[in-house]
Amino acid sequence: MWALLSYLARLLVHITRESFIFSLQILLIQNTRVLVQAVSLIRQYKSMPTHGIGRYKYLLPKEQPKKKKEKVQMKQIKAATGTEYGVLNVSVSGYDLTLVEHYSQYIHNLCNRLDIKVDESYALPTKSTEVMVMPDQGTKMYVDVVLRTHERVVQISQMKAALAPVFMEVLLKNQPEGVQLSIKEHTEADYQTRFKTRPELEGLLAQIG
Amino acid sequence: MAVPCWRFAARPLWQKISGSGKLSVSVKSAVRSVSSTRHTRGAQKPSPVSAASPWVLHGAVCLQRLPVISQERSPIEQRFMDLMQQMELEKSLLSDHELRLLEDAERMSRKQEADYDSDEEEEYGGQEIVMAQDLEDAWEQKLKQFQPASRTKASDTTDVSSSERCLGDSLVLLVKQDVGSQRLWLLPQLPWEAGETLRQTAERALANLPDAELKATFLGNAPCGFYKYKFPQNIQTESRVGAKVFFFKAVLSGSGHLPLQKDSFAWVRTDELQDYLKPEYLKQVKRFIMNL
Repeated sequence: MWALLSYLARLLVHITRESFIFSLQILLIQNTRVLVQAVSLIRQYKSMPTHGIGRYKYLLPKEQPKKKKEKVQMKQIKAATGTEYGVLNVSVSGYDLTLVEHYSQYIHNLCNRLDIKVDESYALPTKSTEVMVMPDQGTKMYVDVVLRTHERVVQISQMKAALAPVFMEVLLKNQPEGVQLSIKEHTEADYQTRFKTRPELEGLLAQIG
Repeated sequence: MAVPCWRFAARPLWQKISGSGKLSVSVKSAVRSVSSTRHTRGAQKPSPVSAASPWVLHGAVCLQRLPVISQERSPIEQRFMDLMQQMELEKSLLSDHELRLLEDAERMSRKQEADYDSDEEEEYGGQEIVMAQDLEDAWEQKLKQFQPASRTKASDTTDVSSSERCLGDSLVLLVKQDVGSQRLWLLPQLPWEAGETLRQTAERALANLPDAELKATFLGNAPCGFYKYKFPQNIQTESRVGAKVFFFKAVLSGSGHLPLQKDSFAWVRTDELQDYLKPEYLKQVKRFIMNL
């Protein structure tokens, strides 16, 4: 700043009588521009102690750019090793909803207590069965009763092989009446049964292909 | 789960209806159908034994027939169940059928009045053909025709060799085999032969029982218990000091209809085991037989 001022002073002194006004004007214009730039180069407020107070965006987690909903992928089914089973589906089904649900809850709690890892615990859609009765005299059948079959599945993975007989025996001995128990290995087909079919989509795909 | 119910599981006293037409029930087979369709992973080759141990290996099977009907309730359980049923009845709302019954009764009482005008009837355009009460009467009739099977059979406490005794408890199969010089009651066992797994030995032990077609589902490849005993001094040699028996659990899934020999077979409950087994053997066996 001072150097500039001294430079100005020297310039002014250098400017002689001939083109004093003209060159002075030009010099002044140039120098004011330079002065303005010089003043803007040195920002006073960044050295303030409270500079940046209130900044918080850098503390938040980085926001991913919004992407379209991805198709739900199936988890990899773990294979069975020599000492452990892979992924097993323990499915409980029956007509009485309270018994079925309570039994499936019992199985889930038993697995938690025995430290068996429970992957998922879901319900399959209920199936309704209509029992039609044909009377002796007439020919027309009429609906007698609607039976609803409920099913609950507890999916366990990596159960120790030595624990399997004990686990199954406890399950079998505590099975309530009217409830069917089945233990199967989990396959991809089992996974696909959980999804609804879309007949229009399949029709369109069949038309294309 | 939005299911209003009580924790104490309901135990209906009658079997599932298996017949059609006439609603009479017969217990077709006193065995719970247990089948395994899983590919048995038991065909693993045992690793060759490097050093010969002085113990002879046996494989034995603990075959259980699971209970077919519910157990009898103790007095406290019965009282608690009555209490819970009453509580649930008092807390519950009226169902559709009961609402219909009430509406019909109300409509009947309105009809009886002198100044009844059927045009004032709002909900229904005309008379209903089937009233709710008629439906209920029809259902009562059907219930009267239903005969549940009896819970106890004639061969309950007498015939120990029948697998249809004590339907409410789980039974274990005992067999009288000759071990050494004595004939003892024990779980069916056979000595192990080289080249097979112990589970296959147990399966063979079950299949080799004379006169019995017992279909069983083995619950796993791992043994559930073990018992070792030493041979008496005069039989002991260098390489055969005693025997180790490994037990495998199995569940009866179907039985042939031939009656078993009374002297050599017995289906016993857990509390009757002490009458049949030797004390040392019993101590080891009791460790893995669950009394649930």
